[in-house]
Amino acid sequence: MEVPAGFLVVYLLFSCFVASSYGVYFSSLNETIIVTATPTQGQVLKAGEDQITVTWRFNQTYRAGTDSAYKTVKVKLCYAPISQKDRSWRKTVDLLKKDKTCPHKIVARPDTASNNSFTWSIERDIPSGVYFVRAFAFNAQDEQVAYGQTTNAHKSTNLFEIQAITGRHVSLDIASICFSAFSIVSLAGFFYMEKRKAKASQQK
Amino acid sequence: MPEIEGSPGSSMHGVTGREPVLAFSVASPMVPTDNTAKFKLPVDSEHKAKVFKLFSLANPHMRTFHLSWLSFFTTFVSTFAAAPLVPIIRDNLNLTKSDIGNAGVASVSGSIFSRLVMGAVCDLLGPRYGCAFLIMLSAPTVFCMSFVENASGYIAVRFMIGFSLATFVSCQYWMSTMFNGKIIGLVNGTAAGWGNMGGGATQLLMPVLFEIIKKAGATPFTAWRIAFFVPGWLNLIMGILVLTLGQDLPDGNLGALQKKGDVAKDKFGKVLWYAVTNYRTWIFVLLYGYSMGVELTIDNVIAEYFYDRFDLKLHLAGIIAATFGMANIVARPFGGFTSDFMAKRFGMRGRLWNLWLLQTAGGIFCLCLGLVNSLPLAITFMILFSIGAQAACGATFGIIPFISRRSLGIISGMTGAGGNFGSGLTQLVFFANASFSTAKGLSYMGIMIICCTLPVSLVHFPQWGSMFLPPSNDGVKGSEEHYYVSEWTEEEKLKGMHQGSLKFAENSRSERGGKVASVPTPPNVTPNHV
Repeated sequence: MEVPAGFLVVYLLFSCFVASSYGVYFSSLNETIIVTATPTQGQVLKAGEDQITVTWRFNQTYRAGTDSAYKTVKVKLCYAPISQKDRSWRKTVDLLKKDKTCPHKIVARPDTASNNSFTWSIERDIPSGVYFVRAFAFNAQDEQVAYGQTTNAHKSTNLFEIQAITGRHVSLDIASICFSAFSIVSLAGFFYMEKRKAKASQQK
Repeated sequence: MPEIEGSPGSSMHGVTGREPVLAFSVASPMVPTDNTAKFKLPVDSEHKAKVFKLFSLANPHMRTFHLSWLSFFTTFVSTFAAAPLVPIIRDNLNLTKSDIGNAGVASVSGSIFSRLVMGAVCDLLGPRYGCAFLIMLSAPTVFCMSFVENASGYIAVRFMIGFSLATFVSCQYWMSTMFNGKIIGLVNGTAAGWGNMGGGATQLLMPVLFEIIKKAGATPFTAWRIAFFVPGWLNLIMGILVLTLGQDLPDGNLGALQKKGDVAKDKFGKVLWYAVTNYRTWIFVLLYGYSMGVELTIDNVIAEYFYDRFDLKLHLAGIIAATFGMANIVARPFGGFTSDFMAKRFGMRGRLWNLWLLQTAGGIFCLCLGLVNSLPLAITFMILFSIGAQAACGATFGIIPFISRRSLGIISGMTGAGGNFGSGLTQLVFFANASFSTAKGLSYMGIMIICCTLPVSLVHFPQWGSMFLPPSNDGVKGSEEHYYVSEWTEEEKLKGMHQGSLKFAENSRSERGGKVASVPTPPNVTPNHV
């Protein structure tokens, strides 16, 4: 039963180790976009309450015409290294389609030559952490062709913090206490009633 | 032949699937029917059912069965409810990988102790109250999830919810008060397997609830807290059903249960001694840690694994994860069935080989699961792995009843605790560490399973042999009677306390395999006739 399965396993494993590795690599992109955001270094913002205004433009020191390929710009909220530590589901990987550094979308806009800016209200499902902002330029084939970010190459400057909502609500807390109390009281009640009935029938 | 009258629950005989799986009923000449009793099912002299009618709700026997397995199922749902929602919870509570791993360890550790205590509770209060107390007192712990704000709160709550897995003991105990010893194997096996399914059902249920609540307008960080109310309500509802519809004994009398319990009570210290000094006990504690333990571990990590590795949506990851736990519906009884099947031809040696093959196959598929990069292959290997591991659980309890007759209850309990311990240890070593990925953890766990299954080759019964050694040729030492009666001292034998073991020994001759007829009666043993 196991031997033929073993061969099949080895063969399939072999073919599966060749994972698909095509796609755009982050290291191949140039930082041709200048991105700025309103939070200052170390500022603490609250999810669901505060806003971030992001501004981006093409860096004129690069050859004019480089940006003619840019069709859309997507601006994203990205984790700083400290928020990626011990959290492999936020890992930075060079192959962009596997990269988990920037999961939160701020805005996607068609690319225009003039100054672009957007004010974003921090959504309530953003987790607590330290962040920076990155913008990707996409071509007509929806592939990344350039990027820009508010921090340096080591992702160590100009980082800001967001505090998430707890998700707790007073109404939930109250409901929880009520049901718990009901559980304990009804159990105790049953127990007491049955003991009383048993005693009563014994005395008869 | 009817079982010796012992305290109900002491006969954890074939805690699953070992008894001929095809034994849905016991025929009348073997166990006389009590015709004076007015029950919907035919019963024996203790009013235990002789027939297992699955789709009946007949009071009290089948009703007990359904209440019992549903309670066990509910506790599995509650204990593993957090697992498929971890991708959301980890963002809400800012958890690290070690926090998540430690919470997984905590969720299975509590029941190591609660399972050991539950036996005593069932003796004192009866299985109905034991079960009801546990699920209704753990309902508040499930509701507590709405208060959790950080990693330590999360770990603490999962630890407390995990205590409720001790309903396994009340479930099996309760069945043995209601069903005749000849069919108790199938009954207990079905109940255990269906209860374990809860670990799979919850992977399906919780993401669906989460999506519905989110669609209704809640933000994700609140939606998962609301979703947790559902397992809490399930606990509550099952507790109330057990209290209102259940009864301890077929005749409904708790007092009689306690009286009966005093009749054939063995000394706990002695029973513990014979369990602990039998090396086979410890081998099976280790083995079960890598069949059941692995199953519990996977219940905790697999949804998150599929979500992260293959970038699936939460509910899709949940559906795939659910197939692992749901396979229990057939996989565990299947393991018991193959054990019985091998025993018919090859006896106990067949059972041991069967266990080794199933568990090692599970380990190999687990190894592969961590290695593959393609989703269809991962799902395939996961399903094969689940069948291997769960069938191994069933096969384990096909052998355990033969390790000892006197200490069967404690050995079953220790083995069960070993399952949880193995799970806690595995999660601690392979899944709470940020230094390697979950995929690597799965592969290492597969290797660990293969290695930890090897000791089964060391299990040797003088009367039946082991995987590589034949049975002893010695006429005395190689007899079943010698093995089982050696658990009693001379004084105890003088008191006649060993009669049950003698009878069991005679019945266990079937474990020799095909050549039963030609076995000579061993000398110096008083043949035991009813």
